[in-house]
Amino acid sequence: MNTSTLSRWLLLGEWRARFVQVIVAVMAIAIGVALGFSIHLINTAAFNEFSAASKNLSGQSDLQVYSKQGYFDELLYPKLAQFKGIELINPVLEFTVPVPGEHGVEYDRKLRILGIDMFRAADISPDLLGVPVEGQPMDSLSDDAIFLSPAAMKWLQVKQGDMLQFNVGTQTIELRVAGGVTRARAGQRIGVMDIGAAQWRFNYLGLLSRIELKLDTGIHHAAFKAELEKELGAQFFITEVVEQEARLASMSRAYRVNLNMLALVALFTGAFLVFSTQALSVARRRSQFALLRVLGFTRLHLLRLVVTEGVVLGVVGSFLGLALGYGFAALVIRFFGGDLGSGFFSDIQPGLYMDSVVAMLYFSVGLGVTMLGTVLPARDAMRIKPAIALKSSQESNAIDCLSVPWPAIVCLSLALLLAQLPPVYGLPVFGYLAIALLLIGGLALMPYFAARFFSFALSTVNKRFNCGKLHATVLMVLARLANVPGQASVALSGVLASFSLMVAMAIMVLSFRVSVDNWLEHVLPADLYVRAADSGRQGGFSPSEQKSLTELSEFSRIEFLRYQKMVLDPHRPEITLIARPVDSMDPRNTLPIIGEYIAPGQLSNHERPVWVSEAMVDLYGYNVGKQIMIPVGNELHSFIVAGVWRDYGRQFGAVQIQLSDYQELSNDMSINTAAAWLHSPVTMDEAYDALRRLPYGDMLEITQSQSIRDTSLKIFDRSFAVTYLLEIIAVIIGLLGVAASFSVQMLARSKEFGMLRHIGVTRTQVLTLLAAEGGLLTALGVALGFVLGWCISLILIFIVNPQSFHWTMQLYMPWNWLLLIAGIMLISASITALIAGRRAVSGSVVRAVREDW
Amino acid sequence: MPIAAALAMFLFATLHSQLQAGDREYAPVIPGNALVFPQDYGAHPDFRIEWWYVTGWLETAENKALGFQVTFFRTATRHHLDNPSRFAPRQLIIAHAALSDPELGRLLYGEKTARAGFDLAYARKGNTDVKLDDWYFKREPDGRYVTEVQAEEFSFQLSLTPTQAIMLQGERGFSRKGPNTEQASYYYSEPHLDVSGTVIQEGKSLAVHGQAWLDHEWSSEILDPRADGWDWMSANLNDGSALMAFRIRGKQGSKLWAYGTRRDAAGRVTQFNPGQVEFIPERTWESPHTKATYPVEMRVRTGKMEWRLVPLLDDQELDSRGSAGAVYWEGAVIVFQNGENVGKGYLELTGYVQPLEL
Amino acid sequence: MLELHHVSKAYAEERQVLSNLTYTLKAGEYVAVMGESGVGKSTLLNLVAGLDTPDSGEVVIDGVVISKLNDDDATLLRRKTLGFIFQAFHILPHLTLKQNIALPLLLNNMPAHRIELMLAEVGLSGRGDHFPHQLSGGELQRVAIARALVHRPRLVLADEPTGNLDPDTAHDILQLIRTEIKKNGASGILVTHSHTAAATADAVLIMTKHGLRKAESVRSG
Repeated sequence: MNTSTLSRWLLLGEWRARFVQVIVAVMAIAIGVALGFSIHLINTAAFNEFSAASKNLSGQSDLQVYSKQGYFDELLYPKLAQFKGIELINPVLEFTVPVPGEHGVEYDRKLRILGIDMFRAADISPDLLGVPVEGQPMDSLSDDAIFLSPAAMKWLQVKQGDMLQFNVGTQTIELRVAGGVTRARAGQRIGVMDIGAAQWRFNYLGLLSRIELKLDTGIHHAAFKAELEKELGAQFFITEVVEQEARLASMSRAYRVNLNMLALVALFTGAFLVFSTQALSVARRRSQFALLRVLGFTRLHLLRLVVTEGVVLGVVGSFLGLALGYGFAALVIRFFGGDLGSGFFSDIQPGLYMDSVVAMLYFSVGLGVTMLGTVLPARDAMRIKPAIALKSSQESNAIDCLSVPWPAIVCLSLALLLAQLPPVYGLPVFGYLAIALLLIGGLALMPYFAARFFSFALSTVNKRFNCGKLHATVLMVLARLANVPGQASVALSGVLASFSLMVAMAIMVLSFRVSVDNWLEHVLPADLYVRAADSGRQGGFSPSEQKSLTELSEFSRIEFLRYQKMVLDPHRPEITLIARPVDSMDPRNTLPIIGEYIAPGQLSNHERPVWVSEAMVDLYGYNVGKQIMIPVGNELHSFIVAGVWRDYGRQFGAVQIQLSDYQELSNDMSINTAAAWLHSPVTMDEAYDALRRLPYGDMLEITQSQSIRDTSLKIFDRSFAVTYLLEIIAVIIGLLGVAASFSVQMLARSKEFGMLRHIGVTRTQVLTLLAAEGGLLTALGVALGFVLGWCISLILIFIVNPQSFHWTMQLYMPWNWLLLIAGIMLISASITALIAGRRAVSGSVVRAVREDW
Repeated sequence: MPIAAALAMFLFATLHSQLQAGDREYAPVIPGNALVFPQDYGAHPDFRIEWWYVTGWLETAENKALGFQVTFFRTATRHHLDNPSRFAPRQLIIAHAALSDPELGRLLYGEKTARAGFDLAYARKGNTDVKLDDWYFKREPDGRYVTEVQAEEFSFQLSLTPTQAIMLQGERGFSRKGPNTEQASYYYSEPHLDVSGTVIQEGKSLAVHGQAWLDHEWSSEILDPRADGWDWMSANLNDGSALMAFRIRGKQGSKLWAYGTRRDAAGRVTQFNPGQVEFIPERTWESPHTKATYPVEMRVRTGKMEWRLVPLLDDQELDSRGSAGAVYWEGAVIVFQNGENVGKGYLELTGYVQPLEL
Repeated sequence: MLELHHVSKAYAEERQVLSNLTYTLKAGEYVAVMGESGVGKSTLLNLVAGLDTPDSGEVVIDGVVISKLNDDDATLLRRKTLGFIFQAFHILPHLTLKQNIALPLLLNNMPAHRIELMLAEVGLSGRGDHFPHQLSGGELQRVAIARALVHRPRLVLADEPTGNLDPDTAHDILQLIRTEIKKNGASGILVTHSHTAAATADAVLIMTKHGLRKAESVRSG
């Protein structure tokens, strides 16, 4: 027999006694860990698969040569082949083509096609070779054959031998599905065909999109790259596979980090729950601990006892969390693929990879958070003065030491300071720190605030008490809440944390949504948008087709837009160049300009204006007035940044220039999209008919701006679906906190309820008392959570979003929704308190009055 | 007749089947069409297939014997006739090179394939000039050939100087390959080429000299569909004469066609018709790589003469199924007559791979 | 005032606690009930308070059959008619003394003027705004006595009220209980193990599994 045996008995006894509370605490930790871990697993799996898929496309090459405009003259290929030090060279033409969907042409359903020289690719990216059927080996070189990855065949619902139609400009071509691809990644939708055939059929004659190089052994990659870059000039850039990976990572990093942050927040909410469970449990066992001290337990023994409880909770919860997280991630990947709604990883099918290091990390975060929640209660247990605690039944609590408001105020002020700091490596690290500090500060301020508030309420009703008109229940509720603020705050912490997070997310999402909606309205002024498939490097509408469009009498106005992708910085994802007629009198009529801008009159004749999206300012430093070089046509040209516009569509940046400037510099007269305004009496149907009657009418994708707006908002909602899930989980954790703290209190207060029943308090009154306590606490939690959440939403809207995604938005309050949620919170918290408190009206409380240990 | 090369299995069946489609006619091989030089040294892109095939024996400074083989093929596809793309694969260039080193006990082998274009790969008309990246085979104005190959395990750079007149095979260069007269090729050889140059093997550069044999052959239709494989040999004999013989095997080793020719040092040519040429297996060798059994030691009868071919080493099997698709035996042999070493040559054995079920 | 008619109660088939108990407590009478542990004293108190119902028989308080009432009606009757004093005092820690004493008044919608009076009665005048943790055990029980009698109940049930107190304090408390019951014209039942305590009652009843019987010698305390 030693103290550890005794500790074990005590531990087991305690858990038997409050089984439900222990389970709830374990679940809270488990849910937090599971959430974080599964989000990490899914994102990592998706990202790994995404980069594996793109690595699959670039094979085993050491370097890849790209042009900033996307495509370049194929004569670079023989020129490069002459370079000393190159072992293998592989020219690639990569492009996407719209494929027919269920409802005719949908230009957002795009198949990625790689044109390869099979003899060159065989040594560098053998996985991409087409697999011809037995007896038809020449199909690999055929000018009418395409090889599709399994995922692409499934997606397009074709099989080997079928014919597949593609739109090229306003023409249609037909290719034969000749077989599969040697080794495509699961879910990877690609088509492979002969490079000569691809150039010809898809109108990319003379063009390549990249050249892959494998260097001779012993060649210094960096030196070779530098030399080659000098040789090729600013039009080209050379990347290594590692850099490409970094570029891919940067594409989705902000999104991934933000999701992980949310998961961490859920985990911290779980920590508060552990804290409340442990704190209440210690409070309840004060006299038991005092007895143990009297019997000869040292302070260290007690500390060890409480800490052991925390460790066991943390270990079990974290472990369970890992298992749950893995299972959840597996399910999500199985049924939804790797895309959590962002659209970054939409056409891949990742395999789950269990990373033991990361698992250990999440495990220790879960355990650490639990330990954090155990520190104060353990200290409290250590400080118990046996003589006093044994005699008095007065409840004391770990939170009492937090009744001093200073630590909380320090936290809040620090949060305010951190919110002012710039991002770190493009991530809003300080913004999130500020949110964490706001939460901690808000929670720490809680006991002080609750005591103040309920004392005030009590003193108000006391006046009525003196008149003898006070209801007994009101007195008991307020007196308890005012005089035992520690316990009240413990119950509150979960509600406060989860509600404030939910408020913050709700405000942020609504602000974002309304801003996006307003923005869509501004950027889609026309009635109809007409698109044609690209014809190689050219836009789908040739000048003659543009002319036939403008000649249609159904439209009062037609505006042409030319979209192009280009790379300004090889380390960053592609940006979009949009050439369109911008109102030269006031660009604000065309673009959602924000902030200052240069009026066209202020520019001299030879200065060409460019209007850049917010992301360009953040990522490339394109401030208004700056002179910048952009590749237009085959050369770099100088432009003056004339304004900044808001763009929610292209996170990585976009620039707009006058269509006339574009055409003058590039000599490219084609356009991709026509925006059309209807003459007032013309109906939408008539307009459609008129467009369909054009000789190339069937090749067009016609969209009403309203439906673009609807689709965009639908995509928006889908991408925030996961955050709704996180919110719901936060609320559940908050309610679990209420349930846990109330059921712990039920044990501690059973004698109180027994006495009340004796002196004539009805069951209904006891339940009312409980519901009122729960409701009032929640009301306060909701009120404070609202203030806290509002502050957090300001950080999300004005700091986290601009820093991660480079767009700003206006603040909008979702009042209805918040009221609804507040109501639901109030009701469910009261119900939770009632359910937890049904013990209070059972026969056992009557007997508890006479139990006396 | 090194038809054995990759494209044999890889291209023939398809080309054949596609020929029926008939939107492109390859130039036919017609008897009586006199070869014209120097144009016929060069490529004939209108014909479906063409090759320049060099085999020979080398000797290093330490008197070590090596066999070598280098082949450049040109094949015309019937694709992309209207395709203006520079990448349109209308002509493909395929190169094979091998080195037989008895000390190593096996064949070193390298190959390359590319579409003709961008001056990176071509087979030029007018004179022998074939290139595939850093591999080339070219006839200089003085009639000397230069070639260079850079395989993974070895490389060599050789100069081949003719010592005798070219040798037209068949009826003045019209060489029948089967019972049907359409099954034929244009075919000339240059035996007794003096070789000098450098072989780089395992990082060591070796100066070599020796003797080689060049075949240049082009055709649009060669093999009888019933053919199972063929055996071919060429030899530079010590007395200055040149010997070439082949047979096309039908099912179960039956002889579909055969031909042989011998030119003595004085230039007198003796031709042997199918009935006069026999290939008699003397010793077989089972490949540990493919389990195929090859008659690596042969007795070859041409008319009244009989030659015994003994391989420089047994394992001269070439397995290119990973890329081009064919497996065959192609190796240096010593030629004996009546037990006496009378010369050195090359033997090619194709169609011996056992069914893959094994 | 309190009539028990053939009251039986069993918690399990083998644990018959009360069987066929009949007893009548007259108004103004203050009796002590003694008996071995487990004989059913607590059960008796619960039945009288309407916190438990008998398997058979009736509990009648002032002509009302409390054992037939539903829980709410029993509670209303209890809050009005009964006062309780417990061994462990059960004073709500977060209410002041005044508020604790006021609870029965508030529950019965009665005026608050008797609070100060009761505080004075139990010797705690001027301490009404103190919190329970500032009081000793004896003082807490005094608060409990004030709470038990503040609303002038007809019957006071005291369950080992001195079990947690030292003998001197116990003596004072027992005297106070008796005095207050008598002063307020209530009846009283004192459940105790202590003969000294029992002696403060008008009569002592011995409870056995066969029923209640009067003790032979009664001494006035």
